[in-house]
Amino acid sequence: MKALRVLVIARKEFRDVLRDRRTLFFMLLLPIVVMPLLMILISNFMKSQLKEKESRILTLAVEPQGKVLLRALANRWLSDHRGALVGLSARIGIESLGGLDDLAQLSERVKSVQDEARGGLADTALLAYGRAWLEMSDDQRQMLQDAGAVHGFLNQTRWIGLDALPPAGELPPGVHVPEDLPASLADARVAAAITSERKDVHAALHVPAGEIDTWFTEDPARAVSLPITIVYDGSQSLSREAHDRCAAFIEALTRAEVRTRLKAQNLARDFVEPFRLKEANVASEGRQFQAVIGGILPYLIILFCFFGAFYPSLDLTAGEKERFTLETLLLAPVSRVDIAAGKFVVVFAAAITAAVLTTASLALTVTYGILPKGTAEAFNLNFELPAVLLTASLLVPVAALFAAMLLTVALCARSFKEAQSYATPLQFLIVLPAMTALMPDLQTELKWAWVPLMNVSLLMRELLKGNYLWDFYAITLGSMFLLSGIMLWVASRVFRRESVLLRT
Amino acid sequence: MPDLVDLVQARELGKTYRGSKGTRTVAASGITFSARAGEVFGLLGPNGAGKTTTLRMLSTVLSPTEGTACIDGHDVREAPDRVRAAIGFLSGNTGLYPRLTPREVLAYFGRLYGLPETALAARIEELAGLLDMAGFLDRRCDALSTGMKQKVNVARTVLHDPRVLFLDEPTAGLDVLASRTIIDFVRRCRGQGKCVVFSTHIMAEVARLCDRLAIIHKGRVQFLGTLAEFRKDAGDDLEEAFLRVLERAA
Repeated sequence: MKALRVLVIARKEFRDVLRDRRTLFFMLLLPIVVMPLLMILISNFMKSQLKEKESRILTLAVEPQGKVLLRALANRWLSDHRGALVGLSARIGIESLGGLDDLAQLSERVKSVQDEARGGLADTALLAYGRAWLEMSDDQRQMLQDAGAVHGFLNQTRWIGLDALPPAGELPPGVHVPEDLPASLADARVAAAITSERKDVHAALHVPAGEIDTWFTEDPARAVSLPITIVYDGSQSLSREAHDRCAAFIEALTRAEVRTRLKAQNLARDFVEPFRLKEANVASEGRQFQAVIGGILPYLIILFCFFGAFYPSLDLTAGEKERFTLETLLLAPVSRVDIAAGKFVVVFAAAITAAVLTTASLALTVTYGILPKGTAEAFNLNFELPAVLLTASLLVPVAALFAAMLLTVALCARSFKEAQSYATPLQFLIVLPAMTALMPDLQTELKWAWVPLMNVSLLMRELLKGNYLWDFYAITLGSMFLLSGIMLWVASRVFRRESVLLRT
Repeated sequence: MPDLVDLVQARELGKTYRGSKGTRTVAASGITFSARAGEVFGLLGPNGAGKTTTLRMLSTVLSPTEGTACIDGHDVREAPDRVRAAIGFLSGNTGLYPRLTPREVLAYFGRLYGLPETALAARIEELAGLLDMAGFLDRRCDALSTGMKQKVNVARTVLHDPRVLFLDEPTAGLDVLASRTIIDFVRRCRGQGKCVVFSTHIMAEVARLCDRLAIIHKGRVQFLGTLAEFRKDAGDDLEEAFLRVLERAA
């Protein structure tokens, strides 16, 4: 091999592919512009969808007596807690808690103050309220959240009578009416309405209004549980939301009622809470977030490494055949191995560039585009320099493997199109092992170090979490270099075969 | 001393392809001829006769399965790099890198041939003047007309001033004007004492240009001699004589 000739070829191929729009798109534009935009768009879209879901008016079907009873219970909760709520809400900036409209405002505020407190109290308008929130006791915070739950159930729902449901046709496949339902809900019309495509009823409720008198008892020995039944469709997100709102409401009522009953009996809360689990998570939110990123990053790095190599490799082989320039190149006084080496250098560099740019732009996007302002510092993503360098070192055999593999496959094709149809299936071949880092339950055991690409993916995940698995690293790097070496040897063999080179 | 002037010597050259099911396709066999400096040698034959295979073997793109050839003193089997440095090769469907300019294409090949940078730049300017390419030397190749492209290809072929030129149906697909460029170019090369091996399936081109010719059909040489000898055998109608040679081989 003559280094000078390889350099001449590589230089020309660089110039050539850098004038190719497809290559530029996948190597530069996709990671730098398209990916971040797409991510910001998706994340904003998801946020707005979540917000819309939470503030959406949902429809509940219930018997008239049930509705009266539930509303009465909700109003009772509110009047019982009004005094305490007024004081608490003043601390987070809701000055005069008057009517039901203020409750919506309170519920909003509680959510944003919670976010603020979780984000680590950055310098925003909510800073003081976030501090106040953290200074409250668990019970106080719970009461504010319960107020939101009561509000969601009482004000963000529409109620219709069970008798207003349309007659049922045939139930969709996979829908059944459970056997132990109260009679009013066991009607097929209920299941039909909730699962209907029109989505105009989200859940149905049954409250045994007749038993309410036995429920209001002063005698602790005769205390009963009031069975409230909700029928919902777990396969639909709005129906699940209806269920969650009802559940949160019932929990709020339960907490209040337990307090009342204990007080009547002069009992401490410990009476119904014989055990209390105190949780302490030693990982900061930043560390947990880093673990999630550590799973996604390896996948994206490997995938974009492949994307970066894809078009140049096809362009420099099958593309050159298609343009009738390959034969001319073969007539120049350079060996075929030199030609292969020159092309390899370019594809390799493109793969590395795409992977590095993706990682960099991803980091910037997450920090400045997706996380709420000021929270990036709180998350304090802390990738250590040695970890970053080791991750980068893994990229070398990966890019070499992809470059050699794609060049070989594409050279066997007669045209760019044919090469594309050969090379695209390779993508599926690499996606699966690359995705293993996304599986949180898959432990990084030493045996996986022998599986190509899976080892890289898992090891990158560990490195980004700050775990330096040296034995795993040694096997991974060694086996990946061996594999890419073999693939390079294959590529150089294929480049010497005239039947492949002249196949047009 | 015939060896000194015989720049191209093909000796029993042959190429047999082995198919996957044990089938054998003989593309060329027992091709023997020589061509001298200052001579235009025609390889004449119908499509699929083995002309391109022969030229590809002579230029080391294909390796022969039998026989060998010597180009400017270098054996195609033993010193393919030297052979490639000594020849210029042009075919009718040679492509150019569409995203590069002619100047870049020529500079690329010049460097591959190992020309020093200053000499290379001067050579490109010289050829641009000679072939009237100055107007489009810095335009991207995908914006050039067929005739312009062919001029660039011609320039690329003689960039390193080779002593031997292989032209594989160089006028195929060209119009009268572009063909004219090629014909003039071949004549000029002969004048400079180069050895030109020229393949075509058009008898008229042979008659206009060639000093000697070989008629190839079914992978074998069916006639070898000077144009004068061919004329003597054939009488006035060369086309007819060409056809008779082909028929005799069938």
